Amino acid sequence: MKRITSFLFATVLAVAAGSQVAAHHSAAMFDDSKVLELKGTIKELQWANPHIWIQVVVEQDGKKTEWSLEGGSPNTLSRSGWRATTFKPGDVVTVRFNPMKDGSAAGQFIGAKFDADGKIVGRWR
Amino acid sequence: MHRACRVLLVVIVASAASGLALRVQAQVAAPSSLPDWSGVWAMEGPTVFDRGTVQPPNGRAGDAGVRESPPYNDEWEAKYRKNIDLIRQGRLPDPITTCGTPHGFPRAMNLPDVYEFAVTREAVWILAENGPNIVRVYTDGRKYPAAEDLWPTYTGASLGRWEGDTLVFTTISLKGSKDNDVIVDRTGLVLSDASRVTTRMRKIDDTTIEARIVVEDPKALKAPWPVTKRYRKQPAGTWAWDYACAENNRNPIGSSGKTLTLGPDGKPLDKDAGK
Repeated sequence: MKRITSFLFATVLAVAAGSQVAAHHSAAMFDDSKVLELKGTIKELQWANPHIWIQVVVEQDGKKTEWSLEGGSPNTLSRSGWRATTFKPGDVVTVRFNPMKDGSAAGQFIGAKFDADGKIVGRWR
Repeated sequence: MHRACRVLLVVIVASAASGLALRVQAQVAAPSSLPDWSGVWAMEGPTVFDRGTVQPPNGRAGDAGVRESPPYNDEWEAKYRKNIDLIRQGRLPDPITTCGTPHGFPRAMNLPDVYEFAVTREAVWILAENGPNIVRVYTDGRKYPAAEDLWPTYTGASLGRWEGDTLVFTTISLKGSKDNDVIVDRTGLVLSDASRVTTRMRKIDDTTIEARIVVEDPKALKAPWPVTKRYRKQPAGTWAWDYACAENNRNPIGSSGKTLTLGPDGKPLDKDAGK
């Protein structure tokens, strides 16, 4: 039963990823032909309109960089199973996203896999 | 004035007022005849306004090269092509990105997130969570304000009537686009301040409301432009929420027209933010 519940949760959250940044602004800054994958630690989930922002600190070659990953509106995401607590500070996650075209430390969130239990949020295929 | 004359005048005025009241009441649908549009609804499909003509098929509003085919005259087709080119350059900002203005009409019928349709005897309110946007459709038999009492607004002035279970309303006094300050969708569609929109809304089955929209615009269009939108009922108990767009808007518009992305410190992350 627990496995089924986990599967359903992952499926519901995956559906939510389908309507990411449609609500508020042009997505021209993102390169949707590319998907970056990084492992990092959640600093903060900004659960506010018009878009949620997932702040992830990634350490590469001894240097820490804070990435800003944009998602949909909390309204739409909440109807698809997300909550303000979906990401908590300190969670270790691997994130996938469409990066900014100019290489800035930001992107359009696609999905995340939690290090602790393998839980998937968003799309992960 | 003699007392008899005053009495006669009162009778005449009262009769006239009574007749007027009856005429107004006759145009107001009885509560039992109003359709049940309760619940929360979501538009079907992406936010391309005219999905019937979009190219490439299933193209998304905002993606480079995506366009629709309204019956524009040459002047407005040229405006549209210019906007399509600006989108290709990433330099056609969506005016609503500032979180300061409504989407306008008919764009208010083409929004993501959810809708509620509040039907009363006197008016129908189309409540869009996104924006938020409110379209007020008065069905109480009133007339449009005189021309000198109207001014162009984003959502215009809408008067409607019930034809059986169909709400028919016409929206006038729209701002239209001046320098792309109002767009119809993110492919760069624009209309003029002469645009006028007639919408026929009906619940076509238990879970679908259909809006047949006809846009007329003697400045921009060679012919009426018909577009159909559909709204799907969401599961019972679905909530619509507050959408405070300015609460955490990290996407201001740069001086070049590019939409910027702010970092957590409030400074642009974009490497060419100042260009």
